[in-house]
This record gives sequence, C-alpha cells and structure tokens, in this order.
Amino acid sequence: MKRVLPVIAALLLLAIPLGVSNQFLLHLGITVLMWTILGLAWNLLGGYAGQVSFGHATFFGIGAYTTMILYLSFRLAPWYGMALGGVLGALFSLPIGLICFRLRGPYFSLATLAVAEIIRLVALNWESLTNGPVGLLITSLPQVTVFGAAINWERKEPFFVIVAVLALCAMLAAYLFTRSRLGSYLTAIREDEDAAEAIGIDTTRSKVTVLALSAFLTGLAGGFYGLYFRYVDPDAVFLISLSVEMVFIAVVGGLRTIAGPVVGAIFLTTIAELFRERFMVGHLIFYGLFMMLVIRFLPEGIWGRALRILTGRR
Amino acid sequence: MTAAMETLIQSLVNGVLTGSLYAMIGVGLTVIFGVMRIINLAHGEMVMLGMFSAYWSYTLWKIDSFLSAIVWVPLFFLAGMLAYRYLVRAIMPGGELNTLLYTAGMSLLIANVALFAWTGDYRTLNLPYAVEPLHPFGIAVPVPLAIAFGLAALITAALYVFLARTDTGRAVRATSQNPEAAALMGINVERIAMITFGLGTALAAAAGVLLVPSLYLYPTVGEILVVKCFVIVVLGGLGSIPGAIAGGILLGVIESFGAVYVSVAYKDTIGFIMFLLVLLFRPQGLFGAARS
Amino acid sequence: MALLEVSGLTRDFGGLRAVSGLSFQVGAGEILGLIGPNGAGKTTVFNLITGFLRPTSGDIRLDGLRIAGLKPHAVVRCGIARTFQIVKPFPNLSVCENVALAALVRLGVRAEAEADAERALKQVGLGDKLDIPASDLTLSDQKRMEIARALATHPKLLLLDEPLAGLNPRETEDACQLVQAIRAGGVTVVLVEHVMKAIMRISHRVVVICQGEKIADGPPSEVVADPAVITAYFGKRAR
Ligand SMILES: Nc1ncnc2c1ncn2[C@@H]1O[C@H](COP(=O)(O)OP(=O)(O)O)[C@@H](O)[C@H]1O
Ligand SMILES: [Mg+2]
Repeated sequence: MKRVLPVIAALLLLAIPLGVSNQFLLHLGITVLMWTILGLAWNLLGGYAGQVSFGHATFFGIGAYTTMILYLSFRLAPWYGMALGGVLGALFSLPIGLICFRLRGPYFSLATLAVAEIIRLVALNWESLTNGPVGLLITSLPQVTVFGAAINWERKEPFFVIVAVLALCAMLAAYLFTRSRLGSYLTAIREDEDAAEAIGIDTTRSKVTVLALSAFLTGLAGGFYGLYFRYVDPDAVFLISLSVEMVFIAVVGGLRTIAGPVVGAIFLTTIAELFRERFMVGHLIFYGLFMMLVIRFLPEGIWGRALRILTGRR
Repeated sequence: MTAAMETLIQSLVNGVLTGSLYAMIGVGLTVIFGVMRIINLAHGEMVMLGMFSAYWSYTLWKIDSFLSAIVWVPLFFLAGMLAYRYLVRAIMPGGELNTLLYTAGMSLLIANVALFAWTGDYRTLNLPYAVEPLHPFGIAVPVPLAIAFGLAALITAALYVFLARTDTGRAVRATSQNPEAAALMGINVERIAMITFGLGTALAAAAGVLLVPSLYLYPTVGEILVVKCFVIVVLGGLGSIPGAIAGGILLGVIESFGAVYVSVAYKDTIGFIMFLLVLLFRPQGLFGAARS
Repeated sequence: MALLEVSGLTRDFGGLRAVSGLSFQVGAGEILGLIGPNGAGKTTVFNLITGFLRPTSGDIRLDGLRIAGLKPHAVVRCGIARTFQIVKPFPNLSVCENVALAALVRLGVRAEAEADAERALKQVGLGDKLDIPASDLTLSDQKRMEIARALATHPKLLLLDEPLAGLNPRETEDACQLVQAIRAGGVTVVLVEHVMKAIMRISHRVVVICQGEKIADGPPSEVVADPAVITAYFGKRAR
C-alpha cells in the first residue's frame, strides 16, 4: 500500500490535463510544479544540509539562458537544452561551492548573495552572449509529433506534462537522497560541522556534492522556465528576490521533508498568482508575511506541523 | 591642472560624497549587528521608506526634502523601537539563521506593500535650488549631494557624541562588546537592544531622506542598497562603527573610480569581489584587529 | 617506533605563539596525560594533531607517516579520533544515531553501523539510553557518548580533551575506569586535563606544557615533584 500510493498520486497528477482544460488553472498548476522543483532543490541544501543559500537564482538563470541560447544559436531543441542547463548549473556550482563553503552560517548566506549579484551583473553586461537587458525571445518552438499528432505549443497541456514529469523526478531524487549515505552525512553536518568532520566525514565534499545536485535541479527548472515563457532577461531569472522565493517556499512548507516544498509551492504560488491576476504588482506581500508568521509561530513549517498532528506526536 | 588629474579628483570627490551616505546606512546595520547579532536584511527597506517619506513630503506638502528629516528621523527611531519590541524580539532565541530568514521576510513584505501602494515606477525628486552644480576649484559638486554630505557628517558626529558621552550611548557600546558582561554590570540589555534597533532604523531612514534628490526612487531599491550595505560592513568588520564609515567611503570611491577607470557596467562587481575576498581572507574586516 | 611522534610543533595566532617547538612521543598501548594550566595550549595541540588547525611549523607522524596538514576527516581515517573540550553532540539525533553515523562512515552499511554503535555504547555504559535525543543527556553522559562516537571510528589513538571536567567525584571515578578499559581494549589514549589528581593516577606518563612549551615529560611521580612544574602550575604561592 505504501508503495502503491505514490504511484497512483503520480499517475493522477499526469492525468490532470485530461480532465482540466481551463488554461488559467493549468498555468497555475505549471507554476506550482515549477516552484515545487525549486523548493525541493533548495531544501536539499538549505533544509537537509542546513546551508542557507540566498543565491540560487544563479543556477536558475544559467539553466534558462542555456536553454534559450542553445536553441536560438544552434537550434538545439529546448528539452535537450533544459538537461544541459541543469548540467551547466551543476558545473557552475562547483567553484561557487568551493568558495562559499569556506564560510559558515550567515556568512555563507551573504557570500552566496554576493556571488549571485556578480553573476547577474555579468549576465546584464555580457551582451554578445546574453543580449543584455533586452533579453532573449523564442518566437516558435520546434514541431513535435506524438502518436501521429502534432503537439500544440500554444496550449498549456504539453507544458503541464513536462513540468509534472520533472517535478516527479525531483521528488524521487529527493527521496533517494534522504535515504542515501550522503543524506546522513549532511544531517551530521547540519547538526555540528566540527563533529561531522571529527567522525571522518569530508564535509566540504559532501556540501559541494549536494550543492551540485541542488543546482542541477534548479537549472533544470530554469530551463523549463525558458521553454514555457519563451523569454528571459536578467531581471526575470537572476534576481535576488527569486532566490529568496525559493527559500521561502521551502521554509514555509516545511524544511527537511519532501512534501514540505510541495505544500509551500501550492500554498504560496497559488496566493501569489491569484494576487498577480487581480492586482499586477505586490504579489510577494504574502511571501513576506507568511515567512514572518512561520518563523515566529511554526518553525517546522506548515507540513511539518501537519505531520506532527497527523502522527500524534506532542 | 591636467585633464587626467581633474578626472581623478572629480571621481574622488564624487566617491567620498556618495560614500558618506553609504557609510551612514552601514553604520545603522552595524550597530544593530553589534548589539543583537542580527544581520538585518530589511535594512535596505528602511532606507527606501526614508526616501519615499521625503519624496512625499516634498511632492504632496511642498516641504523641503532635507528639512523633512526633522520629522521623519524621530518617527523612524520610534518605528524601529516598536518593530524590535513587537516583531523581532520574539524570534531572537531562534538563532542567527532564523533572524536572517525573518528579516528577509520583513524585507519582502515591506518592499511589496510599497510596490502595491506606489507601483514600481521610477521617480526622481528635483529640488529647485539643485539645478546648477557648484564649482569649487573647478570641480563639479551637485548641490543636493553636497548638502547631504554635510548633514551626514553632522548626524554621524552627533552619533559619536551620543555613544561617547551619554550613559545610554556607553551602555550601547558595552553591550556591543560583551552582552553577558553588560547584563552583569546592571545594564538593561533589552532596553539597549530596543534603542539600538531604533537608532539603526533611524540612520537608514535618514540616509534615505538625504539620498532622495540624488538617486532614482522605486520600491525595490532597498534590495540593491542592502547588498551594498553588506559589502560596506564586511569591508569594515561587522559590528565596528569606524569600520562601517571607512567601508562606506571606500565603497563610494571604489564605485566612482570603477565607473571611470574600469567600466560603468562592472563598477558594482568590484565591490562584490572585494566583499568575497574580505569574507574569505580577512573576516574581521580590512581595518580591524582579530577579535577572538 | 612510537605510535605518534610530534616534533618541533609550532602554531601562531596573529602575534600569539600558542604552541612553541613542542616535541613528544606516544607509545602504542600507553595512556599519556597532557597537562598544563588553562590557556597552556593543550586544546591547540589536539586541534593541530587532528587537522582542525594547520601547524605554523613542525611535524606530526602516525606510525611514521606524516599527517600534519591533513584535513580532520583524513586524520580520522588514518586512525586518530578525538573528543571536544566543549562537547559537540549532534543534538537532535538520538544517542544511537550519533554513534551510528561514525560507524557508517567507516562501514558504509547501515545495519552493521547500528550494531557497531550499540556495541560501542554498551562499552561506555549507555546501552540503555539508545533512543534518547543526545541533547537530553546529562553532561557526563554526553561526554561518554562522544567517546563512544570516537570509538566507533575504530581508532588506534584516542585523544580526549578534558573528559573529567565538570564531572562529580563518582562520575570521575567511572570515567577513569572507562579510559582504562579502552586502553585494555588496545586503543592508545592521550588525555588532556588541567586538574591533576585523577590523571596522575591513570596515566603511564605525563607531558606538562606551559605557555605552549614543554616543561616536563616523565612518569607521574617524577613530574609532580619537578620544581618547574610546581611553579608553572601553582605559581609562587605553592613554593
Ligand atoms: N582559534 C584561535 N584563535 C586565536 N587564539 C586562539 C585560538 N585558539 C586558541 N587560542 C589561544 O591559544 C592559547 C592556548 O589555548 P588552548 O589551546 O585552548 O589552551 P588550553 O586548552 O591549554 O586551555 C590561548 O591563549 C588561546 O586564547
Ligand atoms: Mg583546552
């Protein structure tokens, strides 16, 4: 039963486009799933390993730009671009990790913020590669036929399926991660870094590895962003507030759980999208508000608290 | 004077003038960190609110933006104390990372409420007496920046007198150096923390008021300012007031030289790269001695 | 050949020389006491041996192989484990998980690691507290747990930093017996203490340092009678 349930849930998720044709609802679903991936990815590093990064927009932006540039310059289909975007994000994370992981706690957070700002400024000014502040635009996606029918890229259904598959893969990756030795080592690092090193854990290598995994998933989501919106510019994909949103989704949903970022993404993204639909600006008001409320009253997050109530502990 | 010399002096002057305002923001952040070990990510929003306060004073009520500081600075001092008392204090026991996340939430909340209320438009404030720059010794000095520099120097000097001469000021310094010892000496650390938070907020808002005629104004401007602010306080050593002043002026000069001699586009990266280098190799700051 | 050889070990902090030209050896199967007044540099010596600090100069060899400058996790894999003067448990994990993590690093298999952890915890007398969160233990038990965690890495050499500090007389007595039992199990032990009494009884040999320099090295009975030690330790008052 415990094994069948996730499979059924996954199939139901993939079947949603069969039953729902309202394009706004599908758009909402797509946004929620994209943020689920980002929250999950951030949670691996910030939750399990306790390393609070304020710079994850870097990997998101790298994934988005990789996808766009490879398609526009080399006609490489965006789905390959997406995978390569993830890989490039992971590669970039290695030097970033080696630099920033020399610092601990809040100092690590500030360093990731600085690195992300440097990279945003580079993206803004390296016009020959990124087209600067103007950004990059894809006018049409390549034609693909599945079972003899051409995919209609003007509708949301195909994107929903793609991002749902990615989100399921991210959840599986997170699940395997929590059961791996690396997951245990990072728990030790979060609890006490010196003690972890003293029992023989290569703390730097463990942290760099989980950062690479996290950056890969973030880059993948960035690639999906490029594919879905067909437009990127530095202020859309490299912004500090984007990094901060990832943090908030994981924290508000519940750190160190797989369902936490899912709950966080459903909760916050839905509110934000509805707000955006109605008022255009200021949709992050609730992110800030819920972050403050959660830190103050629900440090284990919404899902963390729900889990405690469900399992009847204290 | 050769043209190259002139450029050099001109950018030095520009750097110092802007730097003095950076310094003020940095001092606000660093006193809060010194006393409470909070890295206040919402500090940039306090500057932003200060800017908007002065802006509205001028556009709605025709009050000179510099003059409006007399009203706004005490109000922000009060607001800062209340924010500490009713918002920040309760999460202090949660540790440094929790306060970091909490103030990040506060920052996003304030910036987005401002965005909601005032839209994301870029605004400027043009003072009638600020059209023509001054030309002392053949160097162009914009009037609002010159006034801001003068007032910033005045406020910083006043802060120094407060910290050095008054009992409350001495208590702030003592708490900053060693909270446990300060508590044992009978200092009411809670009260000092509240005052310090008010002080830091007031400094940020004051800098905002002074900056408004010289800078574009929009609700998310704090995002960039707060990052600059980290650069400043890390350059100077977290918690050190003279360090923050030196760091602020240094960053101002770096940016202004960077714009002239490196490139306008990459002038901000220079500050960030220095920030990383200092964090990695001299965590106590460029000027401070190691604190064990 | 000695198990551990330290020669000319020096470490500066800014202008302060915390350890200065220190040389000593630890023979296999020994219990060595490393003593000195507060601030003498004992913890710094441990941090240098275990790789938490890099020496300014000098050499550290284990079984003749150079280990100075290695990262702490690499030193552990060479066979040196340690405890901390201020205990560093994994506070939110259970006692058993704390120790099992150390075994997992070595063994790589969870089930075996847990069995190994239980064995180590029984040895230190915590066999009945496996599932308690580490942060709920008393200080004395936390220190024991840290020893079990160190033992779970299967060290040849165990460095204990003030294992007796903060313990009451009964706990001190039990801890001394534990150290002797560990040595009987084939693990060489170096003990840091600044209180002398207990350490004099269980150490085979004692090295005394003061302001980073070695001032005495020999059997406990000789060292306590050494005038240099008495001055360093008790000041002029004891004279
Ligand atoms: N990380 C450090 N930075 C600066 N000084 C240090 C550091 N660690 C230890 N010291 C100094 O080195 C000296 C020796 O300290 P320590 O080795 O802890 O002494 P002990 O363990 O013998 O009490 C002390 O003066 C201490 O202040
Ligand atoms: Mg010590």
